[in-house]
Amino acid sequence: MIALVRYTVAVMVHSQRYLPPVLLFVICIGTFAHDAGVEPMVPIFAPMTAVAFVCAAWLTVVLVTAEDPVQRAITTVNAGRSWPQLAAVAVVVLATFAVLSAVLLTLPFVLGNRAYGPVDLIVGAAALLTGACFGIAIGMPTSRLVFRRQGYALLATLVLIMTFLLVRGLPPVNTLVMLLTEERTEPADMLLPELAYLALAVAVLAGSLAATQAIVSRRD
Amino acid sequence: MVLDKVDLDLVPGEVVAITGLNGSGKSTLLRLLVGVVRPTSGTVTGRPREVGYVPEYFPDDDALSALSYLTHMGRVRGLTTKDAVDRAGRLLDRLGLSGGRGTPLRRLSNGNLQKVAIAQAVMVRPRLFVLDEAWAGLDATAHTVLAELVEEIAGADGTVVYTDHRQTVGATRVLEVAAGGLIELDAEPVLVTRLVLAPPPDTDLDQPLALPKQLSGAMSMAHDGEKVFVQVKRSEADELLMSVLKDRWSVLRVDEPVAVVTGGLGAALQPAPGAGAEAAAEAAGGAA
Repeated sequence: MIALVRYTVAVMVHSQRYLPPVLLFVICIGTFAHDAGVEPMVPIFAPMTAVAFVCAAWLTVVLVTAEDPVQRAITTVNAGRSWPQLAAVAVVVLATFAVLSAVLLTLPFVLGNRAYGPVDLIVGAAALLTGACFGIAIGMPTSRLVFRRQGYALLATLVLIMTFLLVRGLPPVNTLVMLLTEERTEPADMLLPELAYLALAVAVLAGSLAATQAIVSRRD
Repeated sequence: MVLDKVDLDLVPGEVVAITGLNGSGKSTLLRLLVGVVRPTSGTVTGRPREVGYVPEYFPDDDALSALSYLTHMGRVRGLTTKDAVDRAGRLLDRLGLSGGRGTPLRRLSNGNLQKVAIAQAVMVRPRLFVLDEAWAGLDATAHTVLAELVEEIAGADGTVVYTDHRQTVGATRVLEVAAGGLIELDAEPVLVTRLVLAPPPDTDLDQPLALPKQLSGAMSMAHDGEKVFVQVKRSEADELLMSVLKDRWSVLRVDEPVAVVTGGLGAALQPAPGAGAEAAAEAAGGAA
């Protein structure tokens, strides 16, 4: 599995397809850095969670098909099974956003925001992780592994992203974003519902991986 | 549905050639064997963990270098980084990769990409080695090495299955894919001897009349500009050797004869006397 993760990272770096979604996220970190001195901090994590969700879905879509189908078949044969390839993509996308989120979450400390405490940090980390997990869960089944025509794949990705972002009360992304923007709720009180959304995102990600794998193995 | 009612048992140590017309389902059968597709009905059982797969076409748009790609594939197969690098380097040298190990795959020629495709399949010795038209585009040296690899793997109780629409030399069994099923061709094994010959000095092997007409009876023939690689029936080898020696050719090597099944397609292997290097290389056999 570690070998597949290393190979996936190498493919990602050499293909340079990671640049658009990662650059978008980095640009948003820059915008965030501008506001990182204000208090309270937690509401600012709301748009960043939405951005993490969109960028993780985007990176997943491009990374899952970064290999040519024939090369993918070779990798499957060498790995012995095909699901570890999908799992490796999920691990690489999560690791990428973990690194970027770590930068983002430490910015308020660096910029001397004295009101930014450990609870805020945990709230922010859980929110960004939820966004990234759910983004991967959306990106897997809407990639070109499932939709052979690029137009349909793009359309499916956009429809699901917009739905989970904008449909009011639809967990976990919309409800999480709404929760983070509630000024009357203390950050400590947000932790429990946040963890529930994170658990939901992880469960959906596992289901998404299994469904994508089932479709791909039938289709190839 | 391309394939239907396929029933195939593979035995360790055998070399199986799959023949058939374009679109008959040869490649689909191989993809089923290696496990990249699942049958819509029926099962594939007993597939070993170590499978080597050389597809018909190897992608040419990868930015990874040949050595880096092979190292990754070696690690995916469980080798340590050091072992993977060593093994990749040895295989690339043996196959005669030109263009450099560090050159991105997308800058390699098709023939060199094919060598990388072969190398990745044998980073760990496979117990099932599946090749889809793997001889196409290879130079004479790589032809010989691939034949040696096939022989080594079969000799170590591995199973080799290959398709090649021109040849079945080297196979111990020949199957034809037709009408969605498999037909076992009734072919008698023949003893084949492999010869390495050198022409008299100043002979340009690319000239149509440079090769002696006695070689027209060979089952396959290829040259690398200096040496000529010939496969001939054992019963005809002595006569052929005598005649080329009379023409001042040198005999560099005579291999032990091996039993092969030609599946009745042997005639298709015979290049015209004096055929150009490309045609001769294409016709070079897979037998050691």
